[in-house]
Amino acid sequence: MADREEHQNLLDEDKDEDGDDKGRSVHLNPLCDPNHLLHRIVVLIFMCFLGFGSYFCYDNPAALQSQVIQDMNLNTASFMQLYAWYSWPNVVLCFLGGFLLDRVFGIRLGTVIFSLFVLVGQIIFAAGALANHFWLMNVGRFVFGIGGESLAVAQNTYAVNWFKGKELNLVFGLQLSMARLGSTVNMNVIGWVYARIQMTMGSAGPTTLGITLMIAASTCLFSLICALVLGFLDKRAERILNKEQGKTGEVIKLTDVKDFSVSLWLIFIICVAYYVAIFPFIGLGQVFFIEKFGFTPVQARAINSVVYIISAPASPLLGFLVDKTGRNVMWVLLAVITTLLSHMMLAFTFWNPWIAMSLLGVSYSLLACALWPMVAFVVPEHQLGTAYGFMQSIQNLGLAVMSIAAGSILDVRGYLFLEVFFIACLCMALLAVVLLYLFDYYKEGGLNLSAATRSKRAKPEDVQRLHAPRQSVGDRDHLKPLSPFGVRNRYLSRLGVQMPGHCCPHLSSLAYRSLLK
Amino acid sequence: MSMFKVGLIYSVLLVVFGAARGFLGGGDAFRRKVSVELNPGLVPPLSLPPGVGLVHLRGLGENDTLHFVLCNAGAPALLLVHSNSTRSAVTIDWPEFINSSSAGSLRVEPESSVTYSSALVFTRLWEYDDVNNTADPQKAAESSFYPPYELQNFIWSELNTTVNQSDHTVALCGGEKTQSFSNGSLCLQVSVFESEGRDEAWPSLLHNANSSQLSVWINGVTPRGNNSRFVLEFQSVGDTEFQSRVDVRSSIDDEYTPSIFKVLEWVSSPVNSSSVWGFSQWKPVAYRKARPVFEDATACRHSELVSVSRMPPSAVIQAYFTHHTQIHALNISFGLAEDPVFYNNTKYISWTVLMGLGDPPSDSFSPLIIIIITVGLVTPLVFIILGGVFVCVRKRTSQSTGYEPIN
Repeated sequence: MADREEHQNLLDEDKDEDGDDKGRSVHLNPLCDPNHLLHRIVVLIFMCFLGFGSYFCYDNPAALQSQVIQDMNLNTASFMQLYAWYSWPNVVLCFLGGFLLDRVFGIRLGTVIFSLFVLVGQIIFAAGALANHFWLMNVGRFVFGIGGESLAVAQNTYAVNWFKGKELNLVFGLQLSMARLGSTVNMNVIGWVYARIQMTMGSAGPTTLGITLMIAASTCLFSLICALVLGFLDKRAERILNKEQGKTGEVIKLTDVKDFSVSLWLIFIICVAYYVAIFPFIGLGQVFFIEKFGFTPVQARAINSVVYIISAPASPLLGFLVDKTGRNVMWVLLAVITTLLSHMMLAFTFWNPWIAMSLLGVSYSLLACALWPMVAFVVPEHQLGTAYGFMQSIQNLGLAVMSIAAGSILDVRGYLFLEVFFIACLCMALLAVVLLYLFDYYKEGGLNLSAATRSKRAKPEDVQRLHAPRQSVGDRDHLKPLSPFGVRNRYLSRLGVQMPGHCCPHLSSLAYRSLLK
Repeated sequence: MSMFKVGLIYSVLLVVFGAARGFLGGGDAFRRKVSVELNPGLVPPLSLPPGVGLVHLRGLGENDTLHFVLCNAGAPALLLVHSNSTRSAVTIDWPEFINSSSAGSLRVEPESSVTYSSALVFTRLWEYDDVNNTADPQKAAESSFYPPYELQNFIWSELNTTVNQSDHTVALCGGEKTQSFSNGSLCLQVSVFESEGRDEAWPSLLHNANSSQLSVWINGVTPRGNNSRFVLEFQSVGDTEFQSRVDVRSSIDDEYTPSIFKVLEWVSSPVNSSSVWGFSQWKPVAYRKARPVFEDATACRHSELVSVSRMPPSAVIQAYFTHHTQIHALNISFGLAEDPVFYNNTKYISWTVLMGLGDPPSDSFSPLIIIIITVGLVTPLVFIILGGVFVCVRKRTSQSTGYEPIN
């Protein structure tokens, strides 16, 4: 239903100014009118803060690394378990998230449930600290992980349901920025909160840690309230505008895995090998900067958050750049080489780490913008859901395993060896990129085409789509596969790229969550 | 950008150079033949008091000899004497030495062959109550210091049971006859080496044939307060023509001491030259357990070098150094500021220092790191080159068939 309506609105814009839908809401206050911009801005605010709590609390361990290790008496490998347990449920949930939101819970209830998981998870995490039971903290992170990733899918689906066309780019950009803002605020603020609690309590200890984490849980409570309000507003809009609940539009079929091409497997390898060198590093970064470069804890946290701060504005810009020029494989190669250089700088020199970390932030954003769209180029439309789900699943699996490996390496051999380990992972990613380029060149798969060439090739399909007769719309219409061009546009608009008016993406949440990784 | 390139080239060169040094072992890849003897030349009826002994560890090189003398008559001291003759020997006038340790009762003969001598003496163990948890004895009030333990008054266990001929190590354990040492002791272990190598146990300092390693540890000593922290005072004795300074070097390699990126070196060099003749080297880390893991590490801090006018209360120093000497003292304090864990927690602190001749050894990358980096960087490079060739060849062959006949 929503599909046809959206299609209709965009094509028949000039004729439909006073259609039936708008007529009914004429008597409502603009703030309460679901069609009016003002109301949708209100909804946008709630939508943005929906994910804030989860991103704020995800990196709590990294920002409080020395405190957690000292108060709970851990070694680094145990500390990294806090991150590993977050990733374990997402190995499976990447496949199930869309299904749960579409078929089982519905978007509204699903969002509230996942927000609840996030809140309960963080509370259990804090309770584990208060009671001085580390296993309980791990359970808390596990529950938190169940809610965290799926919440991003839900947030995305809401956006699709409320905003269309060019607005959608802005909305996705804002959501991405809010996510990054949450991480950055956490990095820079939670340490200060801990210090204040310690001053009032007089000493550090598990209780101080527990209280700090409970305070952090208040952001999750705030997100839960946003979820409830959003659910209410969405239900109300549905009643007034007479439209259906939004759907994610994902189709997952695990048997499709056997059809994945060599290029896709190489892309998976690049994805895992690359992110393994980023997230565990940020998790362990604070103490590295304190010990090696002599920073104060406040400075160390600030520099650790630079990657997130930079990626918020850089992602839309770089996405625009990649979209304009094409040649994705070259951009991925550049990103991997730059990250490699940055890690080598951090490992082998005492140069100011701000340089290396800024470089890391830029290259991390570049890779996200160039790598994930490539999946859409090598996979047929009907397998796209499975491909993305699989990619995220093994990414989470890699992160879960490598987080603990990184912690163990640090315990036994120190930071230099850990950096060399990350460099080795990046070299593997580099090798995979080179092989991908060569394989694609040999097979003439077209991954490295410039944007102009690609749009020339895609034009016939695009034209055909626009002039397609309106089919009968059934429930399954939103499940109809799109052309690669359509899917790519769907994805790119999430990057904040300005889409021309005739590209009408039916947007799903497939690739968006990947951006937040 | 050009500075970036310069830096990149520098880093690559550093890695390659480190590799070369790692494989070739630098300039100290020579060996010494080490022998250990206890109380050389002491015949009954002369005898030393119980627990007191003198151990002579000799490292014989190709054309020189390095003598180490460890003696715990008085404060435990390690004397280093370098002689450029292979026939030098340590001669002790035992009656003089035992009675009054008069100057000259310990000699290295022939005296003209002695090129360098210095000594390290452990004089006191201080304990203070760290109420503000600063781990900085300079900031602690005078009144928070308990009376120090004078190592010259310690009662030591018998030396002959702790001399290990095969490992070339000697261990001394002892304490005062007070309540604090009823269940514990302070131990000192000296090892002399035949060639370059590294101990398994942390801090795994790199040693060579020109150095000896001293480990000091306090085990089970009852602290006199709940927030007690310890400070070890030791003194270095050397000739007046040499000047001492403590250098702090930053090192990128923390493989052997995870998260410690500094090396401290107390070097003595001649007054008008900058070459280093003798050194004491340590890392600013101390361990709180006998077999430490990562989180058992604690920081250690050194104080400023202080000139001392009086000879340290050690028999071997008074016996050997007949001429004018200069003596400097240094305090090493253990503990981390704001650390909720004090000595009381594990009742164990250990610290290791390397003492030797010539330039202090410097760490290099382990072969594993070099292999990983080389393989990791070269493999994609090889593929890039091969791939480039492949792409060029392909382009060329496709170009040659570019034209198709019109009919």
